[in-house]
Amino acid sequence: MEIFVAQLLNGLSLGSIYVLLVLGFNLMLVVAKIIQFAYPHLVVLSMYVCWGMLKYTNNMFLVVLASIVSCVIVNVAIEPIFRALSKKHGLDINVSFVVSISIALLITDVMSHALNYGFPIAFPTDWVGKSVLNFGLITFSVGQAYALIGGIAAVALFFYLLYRTRQGRVFRALSENSVLASIIGIPVVKTRILSYAIAGLLGGVTAVLFARLLGSASPSLGDFVAMKVVAVSILAGLGNLKGGLVCGLLLGIAESLAMGYLPGSWSNAIAFMMILIIMLIKPEGLFGIQI
Amino acid sequence: MKKNVLRVEGISVSYGPIQALDDVSIEVDEGEIVSLVGANGAGKTSLLRAIMGLQKVHTGRIVFMGNDITNTSTDKVAGSGIGLIPEGHLVFSTMTVLENLQVGGYHYPQEVSSSLESVFESFPVLYKRRNQIAGTLSGGEQQMLSIGRTLMSKPKLLMADEPSLGLAPKVISEIFNILRDLNEKGYPILLAEQNAKKALEFGDHAYVMETGRVLFQGPAKELMGNPKVRHAYLGGNV
Amino acid sequence: MSPVIYYFLSFTAINILMCWAFYLPYRVGQLHHLVVSCMMASAYFSGYAARQWSWPFALTLLVGTAIGMLICLLPSFAIGDAPCFTVVIVGLTVLFIMKTAIENTRALGGTLGFFGIPQVNNLLLLAYLCLAVAGLLIYRIDNSRLGRAASMVFVDRDAASALGVDVKRLGMLFQIIAGGLAGLAGSLYAFLIGSLFPEFFNLGVIGTLMCMLFAGGHSTMWGVVISVPVFEGLHLILPTAVASWLQVIYAVTLIVVILVLPGGLITKKMLVKVGERFRARPQTVSIKGGIKE
Ligand SMILES: Nc1ncnc2c1ncn2[C@@H]1O[C@H](COP(=O)(O)OP(=O)(O)OP(=O)(O)O)[C@@H](O)[C@H]1O
Ligand SMILES: [Mg+2]
Repeated sequence: MEIFVAQLLNGLSLGSIYVLLVLGFNLMLVVAKIIQFAYPHLVVLSMYVCWGMLKYTNNMFLVVLASIVSCVIVNVAIEPIFRALSKKHGLDINVSFVVSISIALLITDVMSHALNYGFPIAFPTDWVGKSVLNFGLITFSVGQAYALIGGIAAVALFFYLLYRTRQGRVFRALSENSVLASIIGIPVVKTRILSYAIAGLLGGVTAVLFARLLGSASPSLGDFVAMKVVAVSILAGLGNLKGGLVCGLLLGIAESLAMGYLPGSWSNAIAFMMILIIMLIKPEGLFGIQI
Repeated sequence: MKKNVLRVEGISVSYGPIQALDDVSIEVDEGEIVSLVGANGAGKTSLLRAIMGLQKVHTGRIVFMGNDITNTSTDKVAGSGIGLIPEGHLVFSTMTVLENLQVGGYHYPQEVSSSLESVFESFPVLYKRRNQIAGTLSGGEQQMLSIGRTLMSKPKLLMADEPSLGLAPKVISEIFNILRDLNEKGYPILLAEQNAKKALEFGDHAYVMETGRVLFQGPAKELMGNPKVRHAYLGGNV
Repeated sequence: MSPVIYYFLSFTAINILMCWAFYLPYRVGQLHHLVVSCMMASAYFSGYAARQWSWPFALTLLVGTAIGMLICLLPSFAIGDAPCFTVVIVGLTVLFIMKTAIENTRALGGTLGFFGIPQVNNLLLLAYLCLAVAGLLIYRIDNSRLGRAASMVFVDRDAASALGVDVKRLGMLFQIIAGGLAGLAGSLYAFLIGSLFPEFFNLGVIGTLMCMLFAGGHSTMWGVVISVPVFEGLHLILPTAVASWLQVIYAVTLIVVILVLPGGLITKKMLVKVGERFRARPQTVSIKGGIKE
């Protein structure tokens, strides 16, 4: 029972990270109509930025700022590729998938060649933090608390932005019908770029939270997370934001529970196994495609 | 002498090998209702799309309020004051009625609430249904929402593409009454309509199109009397 | 034969087979990354059977091919007509599960790798024989009713099924044949290289193969016959400092190709033109201002 509760807490923290990643991914999917497989790779890249910053400063504000700025810049810098792509192919999400896989490979290869000689990076222990709660086997680290609270706050803000603000309405209008949106005067390209920027901002925050939760990162982390993020998004129904919320959290919990009862090297395989089974049963996703 | 609002000068448009418009010229003056009449595939929608910047214009010019807007991006055309009410009562169907209207006021964020008031005044039914998801409205209500959303952008010219398509006769006359009222409030209107009788009755000036060209043009009443037009478009014995 | 040329020739054969395995399901618009898992499973099986049970080469090859087909058969019931992105993720997840399983299996060498696969005489010749047979098979499929149906599905899935094409059966068939090709490639790979490492079968392989397929041209089977040797040759002549960035080169090439040359080097249209020239039909009419794209 104690293991169960401990892993449930773990799962909620991990799930919050997945949810954040899926949200950023889905935002670009519905607004810009691309599958950005490399989005989690960018987040991992920002974790490297955090790690680099921490060598020079302990100022949390600066580290978060660096993470956000780097993620926004890189994500927006990728946008012209996808725009050129849509000029050539129309809005074909499969082609964008192929291209973003290449971008992911590129980022992974750069990380494994040029950053920390390809070795995994470790964040300072006080960055992950001691446990704030301690009941027998149940521990809750500062990093987990940050991930959970930060995750909830970011998700709330994101949904507020999307459903309660003028910009959010513009995003939703564009995602539903881009031609109609342009007819009523919405600048399509500018709005799409803005969605990349917001996804980048979300990614930068996620990078900090993820770094505090995991305490380490490696070049191959991007691939694992990217597969989970895309899989969660497909399982929820591509573009289904609320479905992504549920599925992301569920994956985090399921994965953590599996981790609590099975040897460590299998935990990713278990997560993928679950994804695979559901995907084979429901190839179109659980909650319906919304793009 | 009335001021000119829109002037299309000899434009041609093609979809790949298919030429949809060939040397088409039209004009819309202040306070005027101009009807575009023509059968299926005559090129009415293509003309409105070309004006809106949705379709590339190969030759010719489009001038709106003295500015050349040929091949300008659609959002800029909309921002400059052309409001298109597209074919098939298009609304953002997952958003509420209110949100549809709000997003229509994209270029005037400060004036959204005052525009909303005047739209709700003209369309009480939209006020009643303001929190309903737009996709669940009836066809007529969606058309009203489409018109209301266009008005939110404070257009200087209204263009309506077959506003009567797929609606019941009673609703159609309601929509035409609304457009008439809007014209009396000062909006110039460019109307594309398959139903020649309705369009000629409604318009001040009319253009009759066929296979991408303008065949006849003139005051609507005169065209109504034109035997050739009567024969080809009004079934001869109206 | 110098080892350099030996490796060049063997990797060329294997990669052409793998590219064909990618090519076939892409005819119906699916990026079937599962074939890399088929290759991995078949390679490990072949290596194990040859070393531990001393199975003869031909039998191993056959069973390896069958394993590849089997791995594709089961999921194809679910994803025969699934959207492309679902097929991609199924392929990727299976690959990572399989990798984890092999990394945790002592008998297969775990993360250290699997060594000592016995040598086979005249292997390169046999490999190219297999390649020719596979090529003939694909050529026959391409020029049959199935190939034409696939072209229809690629352009418009709904229209094709409205015209009576069984999209799911077609997708399943192509996926299973692709699995067989990949199984064959895996088996040959095990014998040609002699040792297997789990980390070889990663996202990078998928990127490499996609790059070769799209650069060569995904609308015909001939594109990869040119692009694969070119890329493999490039691999050999590049200085090591550059060659270690091969992944980056592949990734950038793939992006540039898709942006600049969406059809790839060799397109169907080109083949039709060449065919016409060879047949030199006198009545070929040039249509001025005709159908543009
Ligand atoms: N997207 C397109 N691609 C190719 N051809 C098109 C396209 N849109 C319209 N056309 C062609 O252009 C011509 C003019 O079409 P258009 O839609 O402008 O006619 P219309 O007068 O609006 O007809 P309707 O009354 O049926 O709406 C037609 O021959 C049509 O087939
Ligand atoms: Mg029309």
